[in-house]
Parts: sequence; structure tokens; C-alpha cells
Amino acid sequence: MAFYTLGLTFNLVIFLTVIVLAVWIYGIYFNFKKWGLGSTGYHDQLRNSFWLFLATWIHEAFKDGLWVFLRTVVLDVLLLRRTLARSPVRWVMHMSMFYGFLMLAALSGLGLMIDIVEHFNLLGLSAEAEMAKELLSLPFDIFGYLLLIGATIAVSRRFLLKFVRDNTSAYDAFLIGAVFLITVTGFYAEWMRGNSFLIGNAFEYPIYAPHFALIHTVLAIGLFALILPWSKYIHVIATPMTLLANRGGE
Amino acid sequence: MADQKGSKPLMTGYMMSTQLMEVDGCNRCQECMKWCPTFAVRQDRPGITPMYKNARWRELMAKSQSLRAKIFGPKPLTDDEMKVFTEDTYSCTTCGVCGTVCEAGIKTVELWEAMRPNLVKRGDGPVGKQPFFPKLIKGDRNPYMAKQEDRLCWIPKDAKVLDSGDLFYFAGCTAAYRQQALGVATVRILNKLNVDFAMLGKDEWCCASALIRTGQREVMAEHAVHNIDALKDGGAKNVLFACAGCLRNAAVDWPMWYEGYIPYETMPLSVFLREKIRKGEVEYKIPLNYRFTYHDPCHNGRHLMHLKGKDWSFEAPRDVVQSIPGVKFQEMVRNRALQRCCGAGGGVKAGIPDLAMDCAMARVQDATDIQAEVICSTCPFCRLNLIDGRNTAKSPIKMVDIVEMMAASMGLDTTIPENPYTKFQSQDVLVCSPVECKLDTVERKEPGKDLVGEAH
Ligand code: HEM
Ligand code: SF4
Ligand code: SF4
Repeated sequence: MAFYTLGLTFNLVIFLTVIVLAVWIYGIYFNFKKWGLGSTGYHDQLRNSFWLFLATWIHEAFKDGLWVFLRTVVLDVLLLRRTLARSPVRWVMHMSMFYGFLMLAALSGLGLMIDIVEHFNLLGLSAEAEMAKELLSLPFDIFGYLLLIGATIAVSRRFLLKFVRDNTSAYDAFLIGAVFLITVTGFYAEWMRGNSFLIGNAFEYPIYAPHFALIHTVLAIGLFALILPWSKYIHVIATPMTLLANRGGE
Repeated sequence: MADQKGSKPLMTGYMMSTQLMEVDGCNRCQECMKWCPTFAVRQDRPGITPMYKNARWRELMAKSQSLRAKIFGPKPLTDDEMKVFTEDTYSCTTCGVCGTVCEAGIKTVELWEAMRPNLVKRGDGPVGKQPFFPKLIKGDRNPYMAKQEDRLCWIPKDAKVLDSGDLFYFAGCTAAYRQQALGVATVRILNKLNVDFAMLGKDEWCCASALIRTGQREVMAEHAVHNIDALKDGGAKNVLFACAGCLRNAAVDWPMWYEGYIPYETMPLSVFLREKIRKGEVEYKIPLNYRFTYHDPCHNGRHLMHLKGKDWSFEAPRDVVQSIPGVKFQEMVRNRALQRCCGAGGGVKAGIPDLAMDCAMARVQDATDIQAEVICSTCPFCRLNLIDGRNTAKSPIKMVDIVEMMAASMGLDTTIPENPYTKFQSQDVLVCSPVECKLDTVERKEPGKDLVGEAH
């Protein structure tokens, strides 16, 4: 991968990944423990415990049985039924960001695994790994565009609609801006390498492509992985968990 | 003193841990802001909307619970910020429309009602006249400083009411002391339909809704347990409610405070009456030639729809109204699950009366926009507050209860026998001759307002 050339060795990438995961897991633990400051039931005693949060959540989420739980996973979490009911535009916006982001994250994880195979020549599959990585580039592009479309709608809404703009906090602006920035830097890095999907060589500038890729990677790792449990992005965890605990909501 | 309170962190014990999670689950989509009835009349105070309340709670909690606080030590809460947050949290009628539209599926009513006791415990809430509720209700078992012995003083001599049986009618404090026309109409209709039913009399205690809504939970348990036990002892299998507030509390809140088995069903009176209408047992005589619209009380609608279904919550009262001859019926733009709250609920009428008034005027305007002459409903408090709003707006619109409409059209005698509370009655009524019913307004004979105008 291009960014290894800028002093970012394979070992360093693995090291960073481990750190990021550790911080992320601690962040989730920290939030669960914070939520554990509540009680286990209506007018019940305060318990203050990580495990009691989990127990309460499981109790609530499965109150109506497994079937309702699964239905909520599909309709409310994966298909965002409640957002669709309120605003189709925002639904398209979020579905694009959601699936764009998730697929890019999944593809990146896969990419890293393939890198590991390639690096250690596991099972002697080094050459095949190289080819597999080539195959990933098209889905990378497609989901990248999806994320770009969603992020563009999100940013435009915040700029163009007066009511939305007036009630946008610095927090909203920072985080939506961050998604947008990460997506755009990602694309620009791709475009600079030349010969990219839809764009061709219009932005080709291979010397600086690695630099841009590095900026993109650092932003993505920094903003998503580190900030996620500590900011508005906790909604990526808390919103689906809320939908499930309330079995789809009111 | 101020310092001591300032050093207390935000209390969280009355929130369920999943509710603390819900606060973080708010994804700031702003949808709730479009629907909130109190924000609609207080556009300069976004702080009262769900999105801002969640954000604020998060910030206040972060002062002692964030990573920063864990590393560098907690920051104190200032009196000013707590005062503003308390006002914001109480500027909410707990109408629940935010929960209906919330894209994160947050159960907002429960959330606001769980934030409030934490504020009460910390010494920040409640607001306005709300602190009177627990004292009044514990002292007299009703919020009107009335005698429990007088609970049934309005029942006409020739009416038949049992004291035990399968079917109960739970009238509630307001029908007993302030809107007796509703009670009389209910009793008359049930008698006319040859339905045997019982009432609890002095053992009917206030449903105590106001206590739950305003975060003052202590006396609540006594009332829930007492009422459930009294109904059980009376042999109840089905309990009818003509008051949306009592109904919600009996169906949703009481069971949460009761350990044992509850053998009876709770039912809106409109559902019971619709059944009778469908069976052809109801005979109407006099047409009501007015243009009606129906206002869904939050407590009978959104708060009930998950428990009892949309048909019971929204359609039954409409079916009853439309069964009455002469009625011309039209919906307001916001109806059913997306209805606009009248503004009285959540203790707002007692706590922040001018806010309740402005909401009521907005709802009266909704009805004016569709040229309705009468707003009908199934909640004495919506009625009271809408009448106040109507008076302030100098609108000619009238407010009646659907049970009174039925009784009028059935040609029943709904005269209220003279009693110690006759002088407190004030409401719009239907006055009927054998051929037609006319709308009129009864003015309160004893001047002044109740100490707490509203108990839900
Ligand atoms: C199952 C998981 C998720 C659920 C249930 C969820 C739900 C929501 C909802 C309902 C909104 C409000 C949308 C609106 O304004 O109408 C929202 C906003 C947002 N979500 Fe998610 N989300 C999830 C995962 C994600 C992921 C993985 C991302 C990563 C990109 C993401 C990024 C965003 C952003 C940037 C916004 C703000 C958009 C704006 O306010 O303009 N979400 N989310
Ligand atoms: S419950 Fe009703 S009044 Fe309260 S915040 Fe929600 S929409 Fe506003
Ligand atoms: S509708 Fe729900 S998720 Fe959206 S801003 Fe309001 S409380 Fe938050």
C-alpha cells in the first residue's frame, strides 16, 4: 500500500491498529459504566455498575422475545425505518453514509488482513493476496462514492436550510465536517494516483498521492476510532442500542 | 447553602441505566423540534426541546462523569445553569409527540419523567405551584381540598350505582368535584343501557398523575396500591375511565408500583360505549347540529396506543362522536399520534400557567383553522385548559366531552343535584329541549381559581 513508503511501516500500522482498538474498547467500557450510573428498573435502587447496565439492556431488548428483537434489528437498525417515516431525503443521506462507512470500514479490515497474509507470505499466498487487493479497489470506489453522496447531503443540509443551520452546534459542525473531510481526502488521494474510477487521470499527481493518503488515514483513524466512543459519534453505538432496548421505539 | 448545593453532582439514580444511554442515543436530527408544542409557542427557547435537553443533560453529567472529570477532577454545577435546566425540563407537558417522531426511538416521556425526580431530589425542582401537589394529595387524597366523603355527592338520587361488582367506573377527582356534568352523564348513560356498575366512593383516591408527571414520587406508591387494592376488593374485572389522565395512570403507572397480580382490565369509556352503539343498544333522539372536531388527549392517545392499540386510543372516541345524529365532523391537521398537546399536562398548568395558556391558544387556533364550532375530547383537563385558551383568545369555540354529547343526544336528564361543589362548576354544556340541543357556558359561581388548577 502506498502509505508504507512514508516511514509508516507495516509494523507501525499494526501497532497503531492495536492502540486504536484498545482505546476504542476502553471507550465503550467507559460509556457502559457511565450508563450504569442509572438504576435497573423504574423507581429502583441506584446500582452503579457496568454489568448492571448490560443486564438491564438485555432485559429491555429481549422483553418481547427474540423475534421482536430480530425484527427491530432489520427494520429499525439496518433499514432506519423511523428516519424513513420522517424524511426520505435524510433517509437517503443516512443510508448512504451508514452503508458507505460500514462497508469501507469492513473493506479496510479485510485489506489489512490481506496485507498480513502478503507480508508474512502466509500459506504461500502472497501473490494471490496481491491480486485480491486489486479486486477490492472497485467496491472501495463504489462505497466511497456512496459515503461521499451521503456526506455531501449532510453538509449541504446544514448549510442551506435555515432552521437546521440555526440549531447546528459546533459539535454537529465538527463531526459532520469531519466525515466529509475524511471522505474527500480519501477520494483526492485516490484521484492523485491516477487512473481512477469515473475520474480517470484528471487529478493525477502521483508524487504527492502517498502524502494525501497518509493525511486521510490519520484523520480517519484519529477521528473515527478515537473520537467515536467519546463524542456525538457514540450514537453509532447508542442509537441502535436505544432502538433495540425500546424495541423500535414509540 | 448555595455553595453546598452547587457542589452536589447531577443525580442519576432515578434514571434507568438504559435511559442514560438514550440521552447519548440522541443523534441530533432535530425532528422533535418541529413537533414540540411548547417550543412552538416559545421559539426563543430552544433549550426546552428534547434535542437540547439531551445535550444539556449530557453536558451537566460530563462535569462529574466524563473522562476529563475522571482525570482532572469534577467541575461544580452552578446554580444558574441548574435553574435554567430545571425550567427547561419542566417546560414540557410530557405530551410524547417527540417520542413518536424520535428517529432514535427514545421513549421521551419516560425520560423526562425520570429526569425530574433527580432534580427534585437535588433541590432544583419542581416549579411554580407544583410543590403543593404532594401536600394536598397526601392530606385530602385529592388535589381540590375537598372531602373524600363527598366523592359521590353529585350522583342523582334515582341513579343506580353499586359498591362492588365486575364493572367499575373510576370517575377521578375532577369529575367528582369540578366537572360533575361529566360524571352525571356517564352514570345516566350506563343506567339507561342497563349496565350494572360500581364506584369506589370515598375509597377512590386521586390517581396521583400529577406526582409522577412532576417528579414528586413519594406519595404515589400509597395511591397506586390503595386504588388497586380497593378495586380488587370490590371484585373488579373491568374498570371504565372517562378521564384520560386517570386512565393513563391506572393503566401505565399504577402497575409499576404494585407488586401483586392485577385481575382487572382498564378501559376507556369510549371503547365500552362504542361496543354498545355497535350492538344497537344506544338510541339517539336529538341531533347535535354543530361542526365538531376531536382533540386527542395525549394520555388517551399516544400514551395508550402501545398498550391498548390504536383502535382503542384513537378510533373509539371518533366512532362514538360520529355515531351521534347531526354531527358534522372534521379532523384538525394534527390528529391522532401526531396531535398537538393542549398544554395542560406534565404539571405545566400548575407550574408555568402562561405556557399552558399559549399552547391552548395554539390548539384552539388549529380548530379555528378548520372552522370547527366545537372541540370535543375525553379529558377534563384538556377541556379546562382549552376553555381557558379559548377565553383568552376570545374565540367562540366550545369544548365538550363526548360522553356529555352522547347523553344529550340520547335525551337523558343530566341535571346535577345541588351539592357543596355546585358553585365550583364552570364549563361549556349542552342544553337540550326535546327537539334540539344548544351550546351554553356555565360560569363558576364562586370566584377565583383552584390552588392548583390542574392535576395531570
Ligand atoms: C445502526 C447504526 C446507526 C443508526 C441507527 C443511526 C441513526 C442515525 C439517525 C437516525 C440520524 C439522524 C439523521 C437525520 O438527521 O435524520 C443519524 C445522524 C448521523 N449519523 Fe448515524 N446512525 C447509525 C450509524 C452511523 C454510522 C456508522 C455513521 C458513520 C458515518 C453515522 C453517521 C452519522 C452522521 C454524520 C449523522 C449526522 C447527520 C446530520 O445530522 O446531518 N451513523 N444517525
Ligand atoms: S413531551 Fe411534548 S412538550 Fe415535552 S419535549 Fe416532548 S414534544 Fe415537547
Ligand atoms: S428526534 Fe430524537 S434523536 Fe432526533 S434530536 Fe430529537 S431526541 Fe434527538
